[in-house]
Amino acid sequence: MRRAAVAMAAIVAVGSAVAQAPPFAWDIPAPFPKPPVPADNAMSAAKVELGRRLFYDRRMSVNGAQSCASCHRQELAFTDGLARAVGTTGEMHPRGSMSLANIGYSPALTWADPVTTALEAQALVPMFGTEPVELGLRGMEGRFLAVLQRDSVYQRLFSRAFPESSPAGDRYTIANVVKAIASFERTMVSMRSPYDRYRYGGEPNALSESAKRGELFFFSGQRGGCFQCHGGWNFSGAVRYDGGPAVEPSFFNTGLYNLPGETSYPASNTGIHRVTRRPDDVGKFRPPTLRNIAVTAPYMHDGSIATLGEVLDHYAAGGRTIAAGPYAGVGRANPNRAPNVHGFAMTAGEKRDVIAFLESLTDSAFLRNPALGDPWK
Amino acid sequence: MLAASMVVSLAVTAAPVAAQQGAPSIAVSGAVPTPLTLTATDLAAMPRASVTTTNNGIATKYEGVWLAEVLRKAGLPIGNGLRGGSLSMYVLAAASDGYQVLFSLGELDPEITDGQYLVADAADGKPLFGEMGAFRLVVPGDKRGARSIRMLASLTVVQTKR
Repeated sequence: MRRAAVAMAAIVAVGSAVAQAPPFAWDIPAPFPKPPVPADNAMSAAKVELGRRLFYDRRMSVNGAQSCASCHRQELAFTDGLARAVGTTGEMHPRGSMSLANIGYSPALTWADPVTTALEAQALVPMFGTEPVELGLRGMEGRFLAVLQRDSVYQRLFSRAFPESSPAGDRYTIANVVKAIASFERTMVSMRSPYDRYRYGGEPNALSESAKRGELFFFSGQRGGCFQCHGGWNFSGAVRYDGGPAVEPSFFNTGLYNLPGETSYPASNTGIHRVTRRPDDVGKFRPPTLRNIAVTAPYMHDGSIATLGEVLDHYAAGGRTIAAGPYAGVGRANPNRAPNVHGFAMTAGEKRDVIAFLESLTDSAFLRNPALGDPWK
Repeated sequence: MLAASMVVSLAVTAAPVAAQQGAPSIAVSGAVPTPLTLTATDLAAMPRASVTTTNNGIATKYEGVWLAEVLRKAGLPIGNGLRGGSLSMYVLAAASDGYQVLFSLGELDPEITDGQYLVADAADGKPLFGEMGAFRLVVPGDKRGARSIRMLASLTVVQTKR
């Protein structure tokens, strides 16, 4: 009897081992943490591969002209090089495409949304949003899912990614589409820049002397103080990570505009005020990661600054002054300007040093990682 | 007269010291019986301690000397002798770029509080470098890192009670 019980226990143990999926193999170097993963969307290699296919598939748009990758190009750290993104039907977005580097760690998504904090939920915005139209799939859900269900590649990938669905047709849902895309996005980790080799990898010569001086300027609150908004290892402020505490996102008004009238920023881009309607939230945007920042020009939420040098000039002045035109105003006097944007003295040499430091955050391996590239090619 | 000397001490230590030549050091001055200039070699010869912090998911083991030990070496009455007028003293920690953080002497005494204050000179087995400077005052119990002053260059002790 006892022997039978032992044998039964062994069978149960073997059975549960077979049923349990292997842990996902993250490609994350030490000492960085893993990103958080929602309980209802566990990571799997199959889901990541499906998400990657969808991310690069132009059938994700109403007219077959664009995919997610149209505005998030790998070689540009998943930005698009434009001041403001353009949707599949030609509508211009009021803001620029943000980098997706380390997006799985971000406590907030997009430039000015304090509400949508899950990648799964955010993916619905470009798919179905109408203000503006990005991929334009609103009202086309059935047709889009039918396309996936008929495709032999997707038949294989959906069955592997969502094997629990029964009947099989139930796998082809928008919920599963965004789960797969979010899983792929969580693998977009960028942690192998020269700066990482210098700071975490024991390679003191991975940075130029100029970049080392720039690091000191960046991290000194008495000089640049840039870290006060772009702090932490992701240069974006506090991050979420696996097993870590809840993190409230931060948003800052950098004094980019100061218009007369009801709002001090252009009406199409009032920051999180668009959501909260609080007057003191006008002009507040999320600080983007500075990783790969050298390849993500133009800069700021609306792409209104062309170069890193001009961005530094803006911050050194404690805000941007626009002398004439519809946006004329002294940004430094914006009533919501963050105290962190206090202005600072900076010589031409120090400016070169800070730019050299920012360039050291470019992760070439990330920009060329085949696992993040277009699988349809 | 004593107050006047404090003002002079503060003025000197508030100035950036990055340009000073030689091995990086921490100046311990002000209302201390024994002013000190501590280098990494000096800290290596003192009782060693370590704390581990986690910042955005990255754990770092800092090694160095408890600040209380540094203050004791400078002749301050850390421990049972920290009473009366000594409790109106404070320590102004300053970085080489001029950043300053103030601590009361009482909060730094391990016989009064459980606070941990480590004068760190190494992290994960390597000397501190780059934006950390050669020394960092690590305060692991703080919720934010604003008092964990990087590029630590001086500790100035001030007696407020006349």
